[in-house]
Amino acid sequence: MSYELFTDETEIITQGEAYLEQGAFADPEAAKRYAELLKQYKKLLKNLQRLMKLSDRNEEKLNAMAHVMEEKNKIQEALSANLSKYLSPQIVHSLLTGEKGTDLVTQRKKLTVFFSDIKDFTKTTENMQPEDLSYLLNSYFTEMSKIALHYGATIDKFIGDAMLMFFGDPETRGVREDAEACVRMAVAMQRRMRKLQSTWRFRGYKDPFHMRIGINTGYCNVGNFGSEDRMDYTIIGGEVNLAARLEVQAEPDGILISSDTYALVQDIVEAEERPKLMAKGIEREIIPYAITNIYDEELGCPDLIRSEFKGLRIIADLERVNAEDKGAIIESMEQLLARLREEPAG
Amino acid sequence: MSTLHIPATERTPELLFDFAANTFSLKGESYPENIAEFFGEPVGKLKEHLGAQAGQRIAFHFALPYFNSSSAKTIMGLFSLLDQAAEDGNDVLITWTCEEGDDMQEMGEEFAEDLDAAKFELKFLE
Repeated sequence: MSYELFTDETEIITQGEAYLEQGAFADPEAAKRYAELLKQYKKLLKNLQRLMKLSDRNEEKLNAMAHVMEEKNKIQEALSANLSKYLSPQIVHSLLTGEKGTDLVTQRKKLTVFFSDIKDFTKTTENMQPEDLSYLLNSYFTEMSKIALHYGATIDKFIGDAMLMFFGDPETRGVREDAEACVRMAVAMQRRMRKLQSTWRFRGYKDPFHMRIGINTGYCNVGNFGSEDRMDYTIIGGEVNLAARLEVQAEPDGILISSDTYALVQDIVEAEERPKLMAKGIEREIIPYAITNIYDEELGCPDLIRSEFKGLRIIADLERVNAEDKGAIIESMEQLLARLREEPAG
Repeated sequence: MSTLHIPATERTPELLFDFAANTFSLKGESYPENIAEFFGEPVGKLKEHLGAQAGQRIAFHFALPYFNSSSAKTIMGLFSLLDQAAEDGNDVLITWTCEEGDDMQEMGEEFAEDLDAAKFELKFLE
């Protein structure tokens, strides 16, 4: 059954024409005016039909354009996902959203820089079959990258067996928070390495990889370095060299941080001071700290009590409390409680 | 009446009404945010001007690659005004420029169906 959109209007015109043909108007002037009105009505109906046609056509074009845009978005998303495997996802996002450009521009920013490598990589792998080496390296980089992305690191590059990452650009949560995230990530990586080492041993690799990590916080130049045709989004500066220097000094499976980073993360880590060292491009003497433990719920520290309020910060690791200190600790806590109850708030 | 010239914007066409030369044109996309604000004054002046013309040669040139429904209603009104001017004894030529085979060709031809006295000419972009 066909559907006519303008049945009613057509019926009115048919009736109107029939009146005229039947000579329904006694007055010729009235008939003439009626005929003119009917003509105008036909014209207006035609205009309405054209407008509806135009509106429908424009809507169709708009829908087609929206479809094309949707397809383009899908392609861009796929491209972005692929690019994120070659470049740091934060950098890809910054480029796609236009937050960062491709001019050879750098900025000076306070970053926490992470450097790692595999101890004695060349010696460990010189007798290894290429397939075995690929398996070990790929499983190592895959696991470490997952952890890095989880903690929000900007992965700068993989250099052979080494990794360079940083926190604080293009996104920052604050200098202290960036440093804490970096140290948490480093601890998570070393813990994951222990599990990987077991897996590798189980698979027959006698000398599994041992990672060394160096971390430093300081002002670096970050941005596009290279030429107008080929550039890298990377960091340079003495503070980057210091992170590399710390990494070389770190023990296998260890994390060595500078005093600048330690100052920012001392509330969440337990660390031991190590002999002073010097680094190229850094005039000051560096006091390194080796991380021995971390107070972090996600990384697992069940006896840790950690609360922070304005004017009061509590970090308690009950496992480390000596029996002889308990009395004094309880006395201090009771004094604190008494003062808190006495003093009016605010 | 002095010449009226409104440069094109992203949403409105270039409007050039040269009343002294009796040449008028609309060029560009037309989907104004406020149709009355854009077309109100020019169309009012054109209506007043055409009503006072007799035995004149009048040319109106349309080159609109895209327009919305409100603009279409205005264009149909302009066609009607121009046809009336032709019926009043003027030599009126409407030229409609578009791409060959484009939807705009069909729209122009449909608008021209209602013309009784004004001449209509289609021109294709090369």
